[in-house]
Amino acid sequence: MAEKNESFEVKDFGWLVAMSILFFALVVVGFWIEFSTEWGPYQQEFPQLLGHYGKVEDARDFRAGIKQIWIPKIGVTDRCITCHLGYEWSSVLPATIAEPLKPHPMNDWLVKHEFSRFGCTPCHGGDGSATTVAGAHQGGRGWDDPMLSRALAGQNGLTMNEMIQMRCNFCHRHDAATPAMEEINLAKQLVKKKKCMVCHVVEGSGGTTGPELTYEGDRNPELLNFAHVRGERTMFNWNVQHLTQASVVSPHTQMPDFNMKPEESRALTLLLLSWRRLPYPPEYIPDPEVAAAAMQPSPTSTATPTPTATPIAR
Amino acid sequence: MGDKIKAFWRKISWAWSPESERESSEAIVKNFWLHWFPAKVARASMDWNYSFWLGTASAALLLILTVTGVMLMFFYVPSTERAYGSIKDLEYAVSFGRLLRNQHRWAAEGMVAIVYIHMARVFFTSAYRGARAINWVVGVILFLATLLLSFTGYLLPWDQLAFWAITVGTSIAKQAPLVGPTIQFILLGGHEIGQQTLLRFYVLHVFFLPVLALVLFGYHMWRVRKDGGLAVIERVRNERAMAPKATPKTKSYSLFGLTPGTSVQVMSSTELEESDQVFSSPNMSRRIALVFLIVFNITLLAALLFNAPLEGLANPSVTPNPAKAPWYFVWLQELVASTTVRMGGFTISGALLGGILLPGFLLAVLTLWPWLDRSPLRTEGRWLAPERKRQNATFAVATLVIIVLIMVGVYLRGPYWRIYWPGQPRPEIPQLY
Repeated sequence: MAEKNESFEVKDFGWLVAMSILFFALVVVGFWIEFSTEWGPYQQEFPQLLGHYGKVEDARDFRAGIKQIWIPKIGVTDRCITCHLGYEWSSVLPATIAEPLKPHPMNDWLVKHEFSRFGCTPCHGGDGSATTVAGAHQGGRGWDDPMLSRALAGQNGLTMNEMIQMRCNFCHRHDAATPAMEEINLAKQLVKKKKCMVCHVVEGSGGTTGPELTYEGDRNPELLNFAHVRGERTMFNWNVQHLTQASVVSPHTQMPDFNMKPEESRALTLLLLSWRRLPYPPEYIPDPEVAAAAMQPSPTSTATPTPTATPIAR
Repeated sequence: MGDKIKAFWRKISWAWSPESERESSEAIVKNFWLHWFPAKVARASMDWNYSFWLGTASAALLLILTVTGVMLMFFYVPSTERAYGSIKDLEYAVSFGRLLRNQHRWAAEGMVAIVYIHMARVFFTSAYRGARAINWVVGVILFLATLLLSFTGYLLPWDQLAFWAITVGTSIAKQAPLVGPTIQFILLGGHEIGQQTLLRFYVLHVFFLPVLALVLFGYHMWRVRKDGGLAVIERVRNERAMAPKATPKTKSYSLFGLTPGTSVQVMSSTELEESDQVFSSPNMSRRIALVFLIVFNITLLAALLFNAPLEGLANPSVTPNPAKAPWYFVWLQELVASTTVRMGGFTISGALLGGILLPGFLLAVLTLWPWLDRSPLRTEGRWLAPERKRQNATFAVATLVIIVLIMVGVYLRGPYWRIYWPGQPRPEIPQLY
């Protein structure tokens, strides 16, 4: 009897030791995973880079860790700068540095759109809260706001710059025309020229023959009929083809075939997709007249808005 | 001085002290915590192959869930605006946050499975007979509490997966006759899922259901002890009672002198022998520590290897295609979908039959089974006793059907709730760009 008793005692003790060792091993793996971050190597490299370009003090003051631009009133928590550390150093670092340390190009509009007020994702899209490459750039299933990368823009026949103009229009919706937003400006002219609002309601005015388009960008892509759409099953593609030849995409529609040029229908699609319900507070919405004035060729005429400055498509 | 300190310490550390020997002995005898475990346990109940220690594993999971859950509570905000963001923060910014959430998630899903398998074990060993029937009923309630805990926790990340799984789940509840709409209204705190639902599910998830589960778990354990330990002991007792005793040589005197045979003896040895028992300490405490450690290691390994699912922010206007209930309720969804009859424009919803009547019937039968079971008592504590062949087969088939339905719902159902075999292409879900 004593032998039998011992048999499981010894076995249990052996297993207890084995499981304890496994437990410690798993804890070590857990710590290793926690501390081998994707952003770690970039944060080691960055101060050296700053030092190399003469910013020795800034390099010394650099503290490693997750970095973020946090703007609660527009719902922005952008941790992109945990890796994209050079973003605001365009005056020091050359543009030839490889991503992710490459500085953000110092465009004209960045003067009015400071990083601290706008963050990254309002223009670029993507998941700002993520601190992994895949999480921030690619997103997962059911992710409705992917990052507007060069690749994604290329798939839709646009450049990244053109694609981003859609997001500019989140706030610039009521400008008749905005400097550097050629795509959206073209689309707004087309809305006027093709008389879209004879049939469609946009923000309270327009005809009721067609569906309302005020929040067209919020539509569920799954509710569209893709049976007659060539190529990718995307809302972008549906709109491009529908604007060109509505009778093909929606066989019994009353919408005429506008037979637009591809660049025109792409521009209009960008405009349509920019019409969304958005959380931006009034101080983020620009005065349409200021933009109109900036579009004038002569800087002397900025004070008086001309007739063309009245909003066309709102 | 020393006495004064001692008296003071006694005052602040003891609410009550015994006045007599009787009171002090009663204090020990009546103490709940001292009677979870007996001094000695049957050797047979230490056997891995009898119980597989599934109840202990469930308790270990409950402990892991409580500890990780309390830690998650420091970060989680139960508001529709901030819940999803706080999960993202856990995933990406909180130290060990992802590991914590993963372990909580996998332990929760594991607990649903392990509690069910534990129940199956009790069924197949006929361990719910006699006084143990009460504990069987307590166990059924504990299983329901586990399901509800998991279901309420499912909503909290406030992503598309959570939002629509709860939509499916509560829509099934709505189909109950008479009380259905009221039940749905109470669950949701309104007519649709919103802030009220999230708050309700949160309070249920972090307070009421855990308290219910812990109290019932305590009672469940205490009952195991009061009912005489695991049912395998009854088997040992039966074997002891049947075993021929080595009868001592006796002489019987009759009126005519010596007669052959033995004299009258008291066959009292239906109790366990000394050799059938081992001390709980350290044997059982060591074993429990081992089971806890194994369960902890498995959940930690799962947490390191697999990430808990998190989809896009909940969006009431965009239904994912397909929207599925949590896996342990997918079989109900499958039943609802397959019992829904469409004739032309006329639809008879299957939610009443598949979602309410059938699971209600199964639950009632499960709860009352100890009183429906007519098999002989000698099957107690024996695995798959031949006398119970039919009821064991019924339970196994029912379980198998549910597993198949879950597999179909989880793996084969695709867009538009159609069946897609492995390798068969699924239609591409339209994207924005």
